[in-house]
Amino acid sequence: MCGIIGYVGFRDANKVLIDSLKRLEYRGYDSAGVSVIDKKQQLFKDVGEIDVFRKNLPNFKGDIGIGHTRWATHGGVTKDNAHPHLSSNKKIAVVHNGIIENYSKLRDNLKNKGYNFLSQTDSEVIAHLIEDNYKGNLEKAVFQALKKVNGYYALVVTCTDEPEKIVGARKDSPLVIGVGDNENFLASDITAFLKYTNRVIYLNDGETCVISKKDIILLDENNKPIEREENIINWELKDAEKSGFPHFMLKEIYDQSETVHHVIRGRISEIDRTIEFNENVEILLKNGIDSIDIVACGTSYYSGLVGKYLIEKLTGIPVNVELSSEYRYFGTRNESSLVIGVTQSGETLDTLAALREAKSSGCKILVITNVIGSTATRISDAYILTQSGPEIGVAATKTFTSQNLVLFLLALKIAKLKNKIGADELYKYILDLKELPRKVRQVLDQSSEIRDIAFQLKNSKSVFFIGRGINYPISLEGALKLKEISYVHAEGFAAGELKHGPFALLTKITPVIAIVTNDSTYDKMIANIGEVKARGPQVIAVAEENDTEIEKHADFVLRFPSNSNILSCIPIAILLQLLSYHVASLKGCSIDKPRNLAKSVTVE
Amino acid sequence: MKAVILAAGEGKRLRPFTETLPKVMLPVANKPVLEYVIDAVKKSGVTEVIIVVGYKKEVIMEHLKNYKNIKITYVTQDKQLGTAHALLQARNHIKGPFIVLSGDNIIDQKSILNLIKDKSEYSMLIKENPQPSKYGVVFIEKGKLKEIVEKPKEEVGKFISTGIYKLPKSIFAKIKELSSEGVYGISSVIQSIIDKGETINTIIADLWADIVYPWDLIHLNEAMIHKAPSSVSGVIEKGVIIKGGVSVGKDTVIHSGCYIVGPVVVGQGCEIGPNSCIFPSTTIGDNSVVHPFSQVRNSVVMNDAHIGSSSFIKNSIIGRGSIIENNFSSVDGNSTVEIEGEFKKLEKIGAMIGEDCNIGSNVVIEPGKIIGRKCKIAPLKRIIDNIPSNSKVM
Amino acid sequence: MKCVILAAGEGKRMHPLTFTRPKVMLPIGNKPLLEWNLLNAIDAGIKEFIFVVGYKSEMVRNYFGDGEKWNVKIEYVNQGEPLGTAHAISVVEKFVKDFIVICGDTIFGKEDFKNIVKTKDCMGLVKVENASEYGIVELDEENVVKIYEKIDEPFTNIINGGIYHFSSKIFSYIRKTKKSLRGEFEITDSINMMVKYTKLRGIFLKNWRDVVYPWHLLDANEEILKKINKKIDGTFEKNTAIKGKIIVGKNSKILSGSYIEGPVVIGENCKIGPNCYIRPYTSIGNNCHIGNACEVKNSIILNNSNVPHQNYVGDSVIGENCNLGAGTKVANLRLDKGNIKVVLNGKKLDTKRRKLGMILGDNVQTGINSMMNVGAIIGNNVFIGPGSIANGEIESESKIL
Repeated sequence: MCGIIGYVGFRDANKVLIDSLKRLEYRGYDSAGVSVIDKKQQLFKDVGEIDVFRKNLPNFKGDIGIGHTRWATHGGVTKDNAHPHLSSNKKIAVVHNGIIENYSKLRDNLKNKGYNFLSQTDSEVIAHLIEDNYKGNLEKAVFQALKKVNGYYALVVTCTDEPEKIVGARKDSPLVIGVGDNENFLASDITAFLKYTNRVIYLNDGETCVISKKDIILLDENNKPIEREENIINWELKDAEKSGFPHFMLKEIYDQSETVHHVIRGRISEIDRTIEFNENVEILLKNGIDSIDIVACGTSYYSGLVGKYLIEKLTGIPVNVELSSEYRYFGTRNESSLVIGVTQSGETLDTLAALREAKSSGCKILVITNVIGSTATRISDAYILTQSGPEIGVAATKTFTSQNLVLFLLALKIAKLKNKIGADELYKYILDLKELPRKVRQVLDQSSEIRDIAFQLKNSKSVFFIGRGINYPISLEGALKLKEISYVHAEGFAAGELKHGPFALLTKITPVIAIVTNDSTYDKMIANIGEVKARGPQVIAVAEENDTEIEKHADFVLRFPSNSNILSCIPIAILLQLLSYHVASLKGCSIDKPRNLAKSVTVE
Repeated sequence: MKAVILAAGEGKRLRPFTETLPKVMLPVANKPVLEYVIDAVKKSGVTEVIIVVGYKKEVIMEHLKNYKNIKITYVTQDKQLGTAHALLQARNHIKGPFIVLSGDNIIDQKSILNLIKDKSEYSMLIKENPQPSKYGVVFIEKGKLKEIVEKPKEEVGKFISTGIYKLPKSIFAKIKELSSEGVYGISSVIQSIIDKGETINTIIADLWADIVYPWDLIHLNEAMIHKAPSSVSGVIEKGVIIKGGVSVGKDTVIHSGCYIVGPVVVGQGCEIGPNSCIFPSTTIGDNSVVHPFSQVRNSVVMNDAHIGSSSFIKNSIIGRGSIIENNFSSVDGNSTVEIEGEFKKLEKIGAMIGEDCNIGSNVVIEPGKIIGRKCKIAPLKRIIDNIPSNSKVM
Repeated sequence: MKCVILAAGEGKRMHPLTFTRPKVMLPIGNKPLLEWNLLNAIDAGIKEFIFVVGYKSEMVRNYFGDGEKWNVKIEYVNQGEPLGTAHAISVVEKFVKDFIVICGDTIFGKEDFKNIVKTKDCMGLVKVENASEYGIVELDEENVVKIYEKIDEPFTNIINGGIYHFSSKIFSYIRKTKKSLRGEFEITDSINMMVKYTKLRGIFLKNWRDVVYPWHLLDANEEILKKINKKIDGTFEKNTAIKGKIIVGKNSKILSGSYIEGPVVIGENCKIGPNCYIRPYTSIGNNCHIGNACEVKNSIILNNSNVPHQNYVGDSVIGENCNLGAGTKVANLRLDKGNIKVVLNGKKLDTKRRKLGMILGDNVQTGINSMMNVGAIIGNNVFIGPGSIANGEIESESKIL
């Protein structure tokens, strides 16, 4: 999953490319490269961060070029494996996002024909393949080459013999054309060129395009020209800054004292005691709902599990939560189900595929996302935005809590529509929601106590998180956060399941984090803690402020504010985010760009 | 020219409001004091500020994250060792002459511009003030500073120091030298520079205000609210009367029958009324709710607060997140308040309630009483004393 | 000789009208400000134009296209970021040699274009009464010595007109220009450097109009309407009264009982009347409807808006897609006849006008019998409910119920 950019116009290509690559950094960042044409391909690529790359980049002259930031899928992270890749005759440069499934066979064929390969990547094969098919017209060569390719790609190609054009091709990987004045852009992401133009033309799968300084030609899968209208993008280019925080993730954890407000703003009235979404959502909800399917990936999947708990508890409607990658291929579809897709970016490929599947089975689609105008919003029947602002850190933090809150609001709304809760009860929940910022601030204030506990975990090989009911998905998410950014192995379990297997893993050096809330699960959790301690590990309990009993059972206690009731999942989640952050920080890990991970996964 | 803004202080005399907020983040007309300082500095052409943070720094960084058109660099002062020590933290970012000012004093843009334009190597802003400031009283001779006296025994001298200076880069070496001799305040460093023969030019500031005690928030709110933007947003229901300069934030709903007389600032995401009255000069923070039939006059209500129906709030401060049930009364009158061992006489003061309190219905609070943070007060109580933080009154 | 027109600015002081369009696209006499400059430049013999665009560039491009409609060539260059006038001019370096550049939102006359074109290395100057609001220019006989920022007590009343004739020398000075106190790269700073080595002549302009705030559009509209010639492309029913000069666009219908006192401009596809009264210095856009018992005077109404039943609109600017409910009326005069003060972008301003109605953004809907108080400034997508009063500044997306 990488970032790609192509530029042809009147500006200094080198400057435009490096500027765009910096904006694309969040998509992939183990290596980067550019190639600017000035009679020949001036190529520079290197491993490591964009800022270092920028310093070392030579001052290439030229007004046409392509660039790439890489997140490795095939082949290790090396200079040679970085893009752009040149063809054997060094005339053709290629940047590629995606996977070529039959690359191995293609490479063998080309090697037999005498082509020389410098890297182990699938992408380099494309460069040589295009050279092999080149007869003076770049787009025809690309078209012919792609006929032989299985897989999916977003491709941008230049050739020194035709130094006025850039060819792009798309199949199941995002590629967008930025329409400028006396200049044009091709990129995997609108943000790459939004500074220079807000006019875009979307490429569809199977299509290719040829852009030059003044022209844009679109070709369909039979290489016939097609017309398409421009779209104007109204996004503001807000440079998300860390603003003094050492990491984006920490800033986004702190953002939650505000984002919990933003989710409810404009949607609830304390005085009128009502909850209202936008019109499309209201219409969708008013039609009776018999069952709900939630599809999502990663942290959003855990939000789904939290949502299941909330919706079932408040409305009684059965909720089924599925991993998008599974839902796509397996399972039955019930066309009377409301399918809710949860995706922060709105572009997660697996979730989009699952939603399209559901739609074609006749289900109604509701999407919960953070990005307005994303693909998910465009394919849904209605969508609810989490309104949390951009999330730059790869590990999801504020979007998780915002997603949970949206699901809570949905549950309340449906419950009210079905008369499962009365006006007074709804009011109580509204007040709970209004108290959340206070509770969040309280947790954030405990950052240094949490850091003290983090010391205990930083040298652990394995950490376990256990919880019951709504705290079970919170445990899963807590474990995921720890894994993602501190590389400490962690696993979440339903507390009741430990005895059915996982106990075998417990030793003195596997700390267990137990989430204990003052409800019907309290006694059982205390009992679980006892069972765990009997097998050796230290127990760190996450318990309510006023809970004095817990001190007798756990070795350490982290506190969340009392009277959070059903919404305690929010402060607890934030507490666990801070815990993971501190463990990672103590270990010196690269928190905003964890190794091997990328934001918004658009490969399968 | 760069500006160094000192924002590391806790502001102990402003408790309970500074228990979770650094002093510079206290809101005046719904804008943190620090923002007024940065605005003034930005409008004078400064393109980069170095903010020295310490106490509760995340709150500052979180708030300023969207602040545009000026480069903000943060340096941390780990221990509160005086203003000179705080300034020293910014040393590596300063390459030439610069201005230094405190983030918790309101200052106007023109005065900053005059300071920047002044040709002397050392200059400072001073102000006429009947009461001595925490920066000390200054004695002037021919417009040049002769002496700064930190805590004068007599009330002599017409002018006080604002603590705002224009200094050359060489000051850092001098501060380092003097701190080894135990000198920690900028005023003292300046005094020692005068003693060594340098001249400090003085310029009189136009608008300058310091917040020292909690009630200063009410007075400063009253003074600055006229400058707040006065446009209306959100939803204004029928039958709402709005008079004068009133600002209503986005997504706020003013329910029917409310009577709002400006200058008044209502933040974003609030719900007011129905049938509540807001009188000058009141500021209501974001996401706050004022239930029906309540009256709020000349008060500062911070973010996330709830005011129950039929409440009466005058000359008061309601801290962030506090929930006040119905029929609450702040009694407004004269009072003597004790802060850090000093007794202050106040006229026309109401209640000062800290953050995250829960106050039951029909509670009455006598004038000038300070309720700490996270206090719980049971219904029907009459509060005649200050209540320390985290207490319960049952 | 190419004419470069700077059209990238938002024009924050023109809020709410510039939330959805760049300042140069604000219309007077039914043509955007930029088009008046284009026409005057064409009259002076210029045939090639480069528009430097940025904010809402699509509005400029969609309207002007490649210039075919006026038989000229128009090219576009995107400024990228709003970094000031010098930066805006720098992006055209590869496209020009000897060129004129103007600020697209100031209106320049045909004569002045001719004079500036004739003279190599010059800039336009204007004598004004309120020089303290502009950057003033110090001259040495005919040549520019220095351009100053705004000064409280200006020593001259000669100000920078905002029109320049440069050679490609200017670009090397632009490259050396540092950011101003405002944080922008200003062409005036580049010029101040250049005049030390090259003479720059000051040419006094005969026709110059600056528009800063929305109500200035009314003054500009009045001035331009005084010069129109009658042109009727629409149809008239019986019993309509037309006095003075009016322009009526294609397919517009003027229905019975309409009384129109020119000068008035009416766009295309409009339905005017029956029984309405349109008074002088009114410009009505395309697809508008002015209905029964309505009176409109000295106002600018943008496309697709309706003043349909029993309304009074005076000294106002109405954005696109607005609809006034029956009985909605605008107050345009204080009872004490004092200067009208408004709140714009949250700040109070004295417009120094005795008469000012309302400034409406786009998509404003008013309910029946709503009342718009003097100087009301109303953002986009605002809903003013039936019987409500609109006062002061009302931000976009608000509802006054």
